[in-house]
Amino acid sequence: MPPLRTRSTVDRLDKPSSYASKNRKRKRGRNDEREQRSPDLDDKLREATTLYVGNLSFYTTEEQIHELFSKCGEIKRLVMGLDRFQKTPCGFCFVEYYTHQDALDCMKYVGGTKLDERQIRTDLDEGFVEGRQYGRGKSGGQVRDEYRDEYDPGRGGFGRAYSEGDEKGR
Amino acid sequence: MENGANGDRKRHNGNNGNYNNNSRKRRYRDDDEVERTPQRRRYEEPIASQLRRQLLVIAEKPARSAEDEARGIGRDIANNFDDDQVRGGFLDDMMALLVEQPVKIPFIAAAVRYTNDLNSEAAKEIIARAGRLMQEYLDAGEWREFKFFLRFFACLQGILEGDGVFSVFDQLFDTAADLQAASQEDAVGLELVKIILVTIPYALTSSSGLEQKALDLLENTDIIASASHPLENLANPFPGNGDENIFEYQSIIGLLQKQLVRESTLGWSFACIPRIYNKSDDAVVNKQTLPTVTVPSPVNPGPKPVFPEAFCSLYADLSVESVPTTENIACSLIRDVIVDQINVMDFNRIAVTKFLIDLDLYWAPGTFVGRSVPFDKIKDVEEGRSPWKPEDCAIDAVFSQLLLLPAPEHKLVYYHSVVIEACRFSPGAIAPSLGRAIRYVFKNLEYLDMELAYRFLDWFAHHISNYDFRWKWSEWSEEVGRPNVHPKKAFILSSIDKEIRLSFTKRIRESLPAEYHSLIPDGKEKDIPDFKYNVETTPYAAEGRQILALLRSRAADTELQVPIDAIHSQALAHGVLDPLVSSTDAYMTAICFIGSKSLSHVLSNIERCKERLLAIGAQSDAARRQIIQSVVSYWAYHPGTAVNIVDKLLNYTIVTPESVVQWALGPDALRDGRVLAEWWRYEMVSVTMFKVTNRVRQIVKARVAGARGALGANEVQLLDDTLEKERVGERALFGSIVEAVSGLANGATEGAIIEGEGGEEEGNLVRTWAGRWARVFGRKMAVEEAIVGEAAGVEENKVDVENVE
Repeated sequence: MPPLRTRSTVDRLDKPSSYASKNRKRKRGRNDEREQRSPDLDDKLREATTLYVGNLSFYTTEEQIHELFSKCGEIKRLVMGLDRFQKTPCGFCFVEYYTHQDALDCMKYVGGTKLDERQIRTDLDEGFVEGRQYGRGKSGGQVRDEYRDEYDPGRGGFGRAYSEGDEKGR
Repeated sequence: MENGANGDRKRHNGNNGNYNNNSRKRRYRDDDEVERTPQRRRYEEPIASQLRRQLLVIAEKPARSAEDEARGIGRDIANNFDDDQVRGGFLDDMMALLVEQPVKIPFIAAAVRYTNDLNSEAAKEIIARAGRLMQEYLDAGEWREFKFFLRFFACLQGILEGDGVFSVFDQLFDTAADLQAASQEDAVGLELVKIILVTIPYALTSSSGLEQKALDLLENTDIIASASHPLENLANPFPGNGDENIFEYQSIIGLLQKQLVRESTLGWSFACIPRIYNKSDDAVVNKQTLPTVTVPSPVNPGPKPVFPEAFCSLYADLSVESVPTTENIACSLIRDVIVDQINVMDFNRIAVTKFLIDLDLYWAPGTFVGRSVPFDKIKDVEEGRSPWKPEDCAIDAVFSQLLLLPAPEHKLVYYHSVVIEACRFSPGAIAPSLGRAIRYVFKNLEYLDMELAYRFLDWFAHHISNYDFRWKWSEWSEEVGRPNVHPKKAFILSSIDKEIRLSFTKRIRESLPAEYHSLIPDGKEKDIPDFKYNVETTPYAAEGRQILALLRSRAADTELQVPIDAIHSQALAHGVLDPLVSSTDAYMTAICFIGSKSLSHVLSNIERCKERLLAIGAQSDAARRQIIQSVVSYWAYHPGTAVNIVDKLLNYTIVTPESVVQWALGPDALRDGRVLAEWWRYEMVSVTMFKVTNRVRQIVKARVAGARGALGANEVQLLDDTLEKERVGERALFGSIVEAVSGLANGATEGAIIEGEGGEEEGNLVRTWAGRWARVFGRKMAVEEAIVGEAAGVEENKVDVENVE
């Protein structure tokens, strides 16, 4: 067998982000959909077939996501992220493939490209469980949309908390 | 924290400068700053990590001379080779660099030559290490990586004793000759010859006195390189459309052979290869011995199936020489390196893009015209200077992969992502090149292989979805009036459809000139298509609505049977042969309508109705095809959704691959053959066939694992039986596709169209489409046969079997 490549000469794009690392929990003020990690997270990510997809427009449909993400392999399941109260899309989703390799390829080839004219973000995920499809922000959407101080027409305008004027971002 | 590279380098040369002379100032400042955090001890970066840092970016900075960099690194290696980290970790990094960044191989080799001038023991150890790896890759049949190491040694040929790499060339050639003699269809031998031919230039550039050997070798390789391969016709990207073809098939090795012969008449100049090593006058050449390399017998064909490769360029040999002509060896050398760099580093498309944008740094100065030189300025380049645009060479290489048959190394979307990234990196330079590529392909669509036309279409829509859907549609306006079966019109129609799939109708309509708006029917604006049974004139309207209501209220199956039975009795009364078809239409249409909100809605509905749907298919083939028909009719304006739903129905085995092929290409569907120009139809059939072939490959994979001892003899036998059955089915399916379109391809129903409104022109177009369908699916069948090999159980073919991914 050819030698194992111990480390690459440039970074790999198919690594889980620091966001997904265990240390994340220690940071204060971070609180969103992807909290509550199980202890054997690293093992799960090593064979992850699910991706968390972020920075979607609220108006992006399952069909659009399917059209783009199926370029990396057949999609087993697609779970739209929903506003906890209104049950409407709130700008993220989980895409589950049949194989780990497809998920990695998606990280490498689709993460950071555009869907519906927005640059989307992908991250390896330990797998969807019921309940995680809902936003964890106070208002029902994603936390990041609470405190956003710039106007984003694809994600409901100004941050909700910000427009109410109660808290400063971050 | 880190010191500047220059300071570090000085120190390790034993040239102790007064780099620490600002210590007094610091002490003085101490008195002032009361709350100063305790300073960490000054960190001295180990030489190995300094070297690593420098080597990783060798040749990347236009402001620095690559020769100076190589000389400095070479000297530091020579002077610090007693350092364990340098001999250990750093050398690992150097080897990794050879494998991952092939653009830099000549530069790394130059550094090693500089090392060799000062410390021949160090160079000897590096060479030994690289030799071991080369042997390992050779043993594993990892041809590309083997080629990299061979090229590394070719760049060191000037310090190698005797024949050096030419002794490896001879061995490779003997092996290739044996393989070719043993089988006409052998492609591994071709790969070996390609490796020889593409490596010769580096060996001749770094040494002298071996020109005659090269000529002798070329004489030998000629038979293999120039012969035509039985499978090469299947690899041809521009097969033409039957009667006429303006493109000549060129294999990569055939081209290399001709280019090298030509170069030999020009004094072997290889002007594009960078010369980074220049011997200083006082240096003694320390000769090294090339480590022994043995080509294993039998040779390991490697983990990836090898096919004959066609050369494909969208810019070469046109009126303006924006890339090397195909007679120039630079054409193959530059292409080879870019393609490898793209394929070897799919794990970081951004780094790959940087290599593409910086292409000129890795070739001899003057190889290219300069960056971002506008295309229309190229004609003005003075005689004797290169007119080649680096952007065109880079984009050409990416497209060569996108248009590679049977398939490129990575998923197609990887190559999309590289183009997207290149445009983001350097829009002003890349976008115009891309525009020319698009126009060229569009102009020659009729001649392009149909599978490749589909890939191109898919890429085009995806690409512009990343760039605000901007395209100069107005230049294609005159195509809008053509019949839908015209390849250019079909391309436009399907591009719009694909764009809409990634976006939404209103947005895409806005992006198009007014004359295109008629191509987007109003129905496309509707997210939720109407339920046809709401229209009173639809047969079985009342029953259809009843079925809908019952499905919505999740009524019991017995209740549902009532309207279905009602349809059956009415249908029988009307003389319908298979009343189940009529009731299935109502049932499936209702499922589609209830699930029209999203893919997951329709899926959960299908899941709920699975039992009845499965029972329908088991009862009647016609009713099973009606399930597909109902989905397609309901989603007529959004065929992409229909294709997706049918794909899921296949997973549930509610429909079968046979029924999809029958539905899509059966006589009822084909009629005069115009439907063959519908790209979504091709998509549905090819997605279905992918499922079938993928399943066979999975079984083969399990079989191979089983034969290695993972399974007992009985289980292996079971797998063999399944495999045999599946392969029979697979062949039959491919056969039925080819057969279904062959009649049309031969003009059997030409009369039907001439009698209709289309006239002779459309009749010819349909015939062309049918020929293209036949070609694509005939090829897919041949490829599966080649990959899976003759009945996976046969022991002689065990190696072949292992090739299956």
